Amino acid sequence: MSLLSVKDLQTHFIFHDIDNQLREARALNKINLSLDAGQILGIVGETGAGKSLTAQSICGLLRPPARIVGGSVVFDGRELLTLPEEELNNIRGADIAMVVQNPRSSLDPLTRIGEQLVRIHQTHTSGPLDGSRQKAMEMMQAVGIPDPQRRFTAWPHELSGGMAQRVLIAMALMNEPKLLIADEPTTGLDVTVQAQILDLLKELVARFDMASMIITHDLGIVAHYCDQVAVMFAGEIVEQGTLRDVFLQPAHPYTQQLLASTPERLKLGAETPLGGQPPDLFNLPVGCLSQDRCPLATDICRTSPPMVNLSIDHSARCHFANPNNKTAKSKGKKNG
Amino acid sequence: MADVILQAKNLVKRFPAGRSGSFVNAVNGVDLTIRRGEVLGMVGESGSGKSTIGRTILRLTNPTEGQISFDGKDITKLADKAVRPLRKDMQMVFQDPWSALNPRMKIGDLIAEPLRIHLNMSRSECRDRTEMLARRVGLSTNFLNRTPSALSGGQLQRVCIARAIATNPKLIVLDEPTSSLDLSVRAGILELLQELRAKTEAGFLFISHDLGTIKLISDRIAVLYLGRIVEEVPKYKLFSEPSHPYSQSLLSAHLPSDPNVPLQRMALQGEIPSPINPPSGCSFHTRCPVAVAECKRIQPLPEKISADHLARCLRLKDGKNIIPRDQK
Amino acid sequence: MNSTHSDQVSLATRIGNRLRGISRLSPTATAGVIIIFLFGILALFSDLFMTHDPVSSYPDRILQAPSAQHWFGTDGNGMDVFSRVIYGAKFGFGIAIPAVIIAVIIGVPVGLVAGYRGGILDEVLMRIFDGLRVFPSIILALAVVAATGQSLINVVLVLGFLDSPVFARLVRAEVLALRSSIFVESAVAVGNPTWRILFLHLLPNSIQGAMAQTAVRAAWAVRISATLAFLGVGIQAPTPEWGAMIRQGAEFMVTGQWWVAIFPGLALIFLVFGLNLFGDGIQDILDPRRRASK
Repeated sequence: MSLLSVKDLQTHFIFHDIDNQLREARALNKINLSLDAGQILGIVGETGAGKSLTAQSICGLLRPPARIVGGSVVFDGRELLTLPEEELNNIRGADIAMVVQNPRSSLDPLTRIGEQLVRIHQTHTSGPLDGSRQKAMEMMQAVGIPDPQRRFTAWPHELSGGMAQRVLIAMALMNEPKLLIADEPTTGLDVTVQAQILDLLKELVARFDMASMIITHDLGIVAHYCDQVAVMFAGEIVEQGTLRDVFLQPAHPYTQQLLASTPERLKLGAETPLGGQPPDLFNLPVGCLSQDRCPLATDICRTSPPMVNLSIDHSARCHFANPNNKTAKSKGKKNG
Repeated sequence: MADVILQAKNLVKRFPAGRSGSFVNAVNGVDLTIRRGEVLGMVGESGSGKSTIGRTILRLTNPTEGQISFDGKDITKLADKAVRPLRKDMQMVFQDPWSALNPRMKIGDLIAEPLRIHLNMSRSECRDRTEMLARRVGLSTNFLNRTPSALSGGQLQRVCIARAIATNPKLIVLDEPTSSLDLSVRAGILELLQELRAKTEAGFLFISHDLGTIKLISDRIAVLYLGRIVEEVPKYKLFSEPSHPYSQSLLSAHLPSDPNVPLQRMALQGEIPSPINPPSGCSFHTRCPVAVAECKRIQPLPEKISADHLARCLRLKDGKNIIPRDQK
Repeated sequence: MNSTHSDQVSLATRIGNRLRGISRLSPTATAGVIIIFLFGILALFSDLFMTHDPVSSYPDRILQAPSAQHWFGTDGNGMDVFSRVIYGAKFGFGIAIPAVIIAVIIGVPVGLVAGYRGGILDEVLMRIFDGLRVFPSIILALAVVAATGQSLINVVLVLGFLDSPVFARLVRAEVLALRSSIFVESAVAVGNPTWRILFLHLLPNSIQGAMAQTAVRAAWAVRISATLAFLGVGIQAPTPEWGAMIRQGAEFMVTGQWWVAIFPGLALIFLVFGLNLFGDGIQDILDPRRRASK
């Protein structure tokens, strides 16, 4: 049995607008994922695809008007969606840990970083403070913070972006989580620092035998640090599978377009595979969500496309799911 | 040189940092030349000073030292009032289209603004030209009556570009114009820029931290580190023969989206030093894999590797500027 | 999945829906709106509601307690308190609205210029305005009105002038935050002269806070003018202004004729309350941080 098994997860935004009309948006539609220890899953997509929302739904960190309206999240044998908040709190920060972008806004500006590491350890153990301090030092070393003795008493604002991100990773690892979720962990960091952080993550995942999820919009990160991929669009997973399957034999037009839009593959002046705008989540089209921007769209796309299994580990949600369809070479619609 | 639209000599910009009397040395002696019809790409990470350079040459901020000459005229010490009419010929496109546009102004008015300020057009002429500009940048004229909140990032950036080209400027500075946009939207904007540069005789300065984007659009590339140009080279040479160790590591840090392309990482130690306290000598020496003792003492001068290729590195002399490939 | 906004929905229904939507966002604002609206109707259509002529006296009915004929009783001059209270609503609005308009006309441009220019100009202007605010406003108003003559116009002008620092401060604060924002830089980059930056770019984006304050400042204007009238300044008897009425009625409280002062007092309290509620509620709507999460 998988460590994490998400089935048909559905999250909606529900609220009354200023005209007192009820508005409902299907922000996540039937998300299916599974993850085992030692695997690194990359969740990739553009803004508004629902990547962060997926992570937040799994961890139970949704705020109104977002609400889980269906599905199941089974972690380590337990159904998280029906767990009372208290027990969820025991799992969060301990068995499931999250690292987010903008590390400096996630750190308490009024507490020294060593104390923050200790604090998060103490929340989940009843052991002595000294033990936590010792562990904090070890973790700071493990994440490559130079001179941990001295840095223990540093304030968050004294840290550079890269250093702060390392602290965040250390915090996530204090309680030896089974699942580590990294949401855009290197966005905003310099490219040379990004490399260090990603290498660190990969090494730690192997060392602690964790399951890991990296959420990003950067295809390069996925290509070199993940072994599984899920491509998201408008709240759905449109393609998922092993890295090699999805990136080398993409079967969904959106994935193909996305890969073709990376700077190294783009040829300016040639027929560019352009995208369009993502659909309005409050006004989703009937049938395939990409139909307004897909060059292969035809009448059948007005019916919901099935998840087509291209191989044991590779599926794509498209009527024309096929690594050999001609998306990249056909005329794209003008994008927004 | 009749085709040089902008020339900056020994540009220096320092900002006061806090109350302690220290300064942020954003730009530390930059020489820049932009010619009509060419795109100069400037690439660098945080602290490189690239955005500051863009703003300084447009006199949006005043240089601490140095000389800027635009279209043959020295504009370094001009009063703000005198610079204003020149803005008809020098424009800027900013990184974040959502914050670059007045949220309470209509799109049509935003695009027409430079026309109203610089050219004395009648209302109907303005309207016609605005519509033409909207079409030129691929924006539906339906949007002209809306406010920015109704448009997507890509559409907003097209508005910004329309605004920038409205008066047919001779110089356009683009500061990370696609960095805030989604991948699929970037391609469209870059296409648009490519079209525009083919049709105008303007000089472009394209600033970005992303090598991939710079490679697509630039003719020449300047690599910046801590306020200095460490390498200046025609595009293809940067990617085939990068000379400066920093350029090499920057290239190697780039992650291609093809999993089959192996990474050839040159793991740089540490992080970029603070511009408040830049290292002595060559500012890259603290992280440079091929630095030697004298790199700490001596600030390297730009050396010509060939007619159009220069780099600042002490190790060019003995050919040891190339970082060995097996260093990971 | 979502409800459709069909064009067939009648205007009344749409207004009703919008009101319900706003009341969801802020019950405070809604309550305020209702109160202000009621008083507004009284002020505009006072003729419909008054039972007697507000300035006719009935010498044979002095100081009569509330009765079927005089719902709020009669005052020391034999005038009908009810009609005078209704008529007094005109003064409430008639003073508050022009006073706030004047305050905005003076305060907003000062705030814009001070905030954008900064430097000496900012310091000087703000010190002047600080001085104004620190001065107890009643005393200052008394002095100015007494010196310039006791007329309604003077009262309005003085109040407007006294209140302008509030608006100047609010606008200046927004401008300080906005002047380094990218769209202002972009406006400069395009070549905008300073006046365009101030009025076309900064003004529309810095005025929300000030606008939200207008209701609260109107409440202040109503209160202060009533206070001034109470002190015998600005409005003369037998003008049916609430403050003046309270002044007259104060004498009679001791002898037990409570209705002369209480009713105008209640009217004053409710209008000020309504304006404050509305001002508060508007800020709830405009500033998402103040909104309680559902």
